[in-house]
This record gives sequence, C-alpha cells and structure tokens, in this order.
Amino acid sequence: MLKLLLPILFPSWRFFSSIGPSPRIDIGWLGEKNAQPLEWLPFRSLQERLTLAAGVQCLFFNPVWNERLYLNTCAEHLLECDSAFHAQQIAERLLHAVNTGELKAGAARYLVFRVRALTDEAGQVRDDVVFMSEPILLQEAGQ
Amino acid sequence: MTLELAVRWAEIILGFAIFQQSVELLRGLSWEKKLALVRAPLAILLMAGFQPLFVELVLLGTAAVLISRYRGPYNGGSDTMTLLVLLCLCLSHLAQSRYWQEIALGYLAIQLTLSYFQSGWVKVINPQWRGGEALQQVFALSAYPVSNNVRTWAQKPRLLWLMSWAVIGFELLFPLALLNQTLLFIALFIAGLFHLANACLFGLNRFFWIWLAAYPVIIWFQQRFAEIL
Repeated sequence: MLKLLLPILFPSWRFFSSIGPSPRIDIGWLGEKNAQPLEWLPFRSLQERLTLAAGVQCLFFNPVWNERLYLNTCAEHLLECDSAFHAQQIAERLLHAVNTGELKAGAARYLVFRVRALTDEAGQVRDDVVFMSEPILLQEAGQ
Repeated sequence: MTLELAVRWAEIILGFAIFQQSVELLRGLSWEKKLALVRAPLAILLMAGFQPLFVELVLLGTAAVLISRYRGPYNGGSDTMTLLVLLCLCLSHLAQSRYWQEIALGYLAIQLTLSYFQSGWVKVINPQWRGGEALQQVFALSAYPVSNNVRTWAQKPRLLWLMSWAVIGFELLFPLALLNQTLLFIALFIAGLFHLANACLFGLNRFFWIWLAAYPVIIWFQQRFAEIL
C-alpha cells in the first residue's frame, strides 16, 4: 500500500514528458473458443465532432470518457509488459459494456480483445499488435 | 484571504470535485457503485462544512480502497491531486498549532506550483516539445482528443508550435506569480482557462475541478509568502 501511496504524497508532475506509443483496444466476437474473430472492431471509437452542449455536459459528467482513459492506462501497461492484472481490468470493463448493452454480442459466446501500439516513426505511423487476450466466456457476464 | 477562509473554500470546491467523481463512478462496476454511494454523501457533507476532519478521514479511507483496487490512480494526475488536497486539508485540521497548519497547507501550495513548473520543465528540455512535434503527436496519435474533428488539429503545425510554447512559457513562469497577488490572480485565471481547454479538447474534466480546489490555498499562501518576504 505504501508503494501505491508514496507517488501520491510526493507526486511527479511530468505531464506528457515524452510521447510514447499510443495503445488502441479492439474487440472481436467468437462463436467457439478456438475460432478467430471475423473482424476486429475498435472499442469506443471517437465521435466525429462534439457539440458545445455536449462539451459543457462532459465538464460535469463524463464517465465513459474517463473509463476510456483508464482502459488506455491499462493498455499502456500491457505495452510495457504482460500484466495479468491490467488485462483482467480491461476484460472486466468489456464484459460490463456487454452487460449494459453498450456492446452487442449477438450469437457470440466469447469475446476477445487485442491491444495495438501506434508509433510515429519519422512521420509514418507504425501499427503493431502487442497483446492478444484469451477468449472470455460471455456467460460469465450473465449472457 | 485568511487560512480559515482558504480551507473552507478549498473544502467546498473539493467536495464538489469528489461529488462529481462519485456520480461518474455510479456508472461503473458494482463495487465502484457501492463506494460511490458512500463518497457522494460525504462530499456533500464536506461542502456543507459538517465535521470536516471526520469526513476527510473517511474520504481518505475510501480513496485508499480505490487506489488499492486500481493498483494506482484511476484518472492519473487528477486522482493524485484529489488525494493531496484531501490529505493536506485533513492535516491542517489535525495540526495542534498554527505553525503545523501552515506547513500542511504550504505543502499543498508548493505542490500546486510544482504541478505547473515541473510539467513545463520536462517539456522545455524535450526537443520534440520545443519544436511542436510532441503536441502534434498528442493530437494525431494519443488517446486524448475527444473527437475526430479535434484530431485534425494535428495538421496545423504552426498553431501547435505556438500552443506548445504558450503552455511551456506559462508553466515555467507560474512560480513568479507568488511574488504578487495581482499576478497570481491573472496566473490562476489563465491556468483555469488552460484546464478548461484540456477538458474540452482532451476530456480531462476531473483535472479542471480538482485543480480549482487548490487555488484558495495558494491565494492564502501567496499572502503569507509576501508577509515573510
């Protein structure tokens, strides 16, 4: 606990000190555990434009976006190392999105996700898959 | 501003910030909802000024649970600042003398100053920031831009270079605002606009509210600092 608390009591305010690879989370649906997803879909892709009214509302209430930022932090950990905890965090929240109806599973029985790393290399964007989850049984989420 | 008034205002804004965070958490997982249902009423009590020490101690306890469950902050720097403001206000109530009260709140004011200065320093020593490329990458690739329309700002290198230097200059010069009250008010107004812009462009709404919570303390600190000088 002390290890978690110390950086808060003596914080380092190095916001955007360097710009590293940026993660993206994609999801795929599976009918069978050993199958491959037919397509990968970006999880919570960006809106085209945010209206002024929506912007003002987000100043007071922006839970989906803040969860997106948390998932991004978890994905960043997965870019650095294979962290079971952070993979589990992403899986839990994807299952929650299925349970709340945000993600439509259809006839699928399993969900998989992957993390891609986008890196700028001299003006060219490099796109690498760096993490692939195990299939997650949707029945566990009450499906 | 007296120390007592600074503490009261900081607690009102902190209470609002924690209430706002808790309402957002109500949309989360089941354990997050339970914790949010504890934190939201406590935040209201904090705003009302009811038993602030007790309320702050319980809020610190719930914050420890959150940190433990997430193995760190949920919302990065905004959670760090929330805990720091909470802890320093709590310590100011626990302090047995005026001297220790001032140490607790002075620490918060210094951390607030550092939050700008250190952030500016790490940028100015980075050639990518000095050239505007870092901000270009933030808009082009990072997870922060709130819409595809905001992402297109990445194609405006001159504007981004100007924005980079505006941010770096402001952050590095912020400590000088402690020398004069009018300067501090101007600096805090600009800082507020900066956080508002971050909320609009990058969705960092929690940062906006929680940084505001520390402003009354730095206003008190500047006066105290001027007396010592």
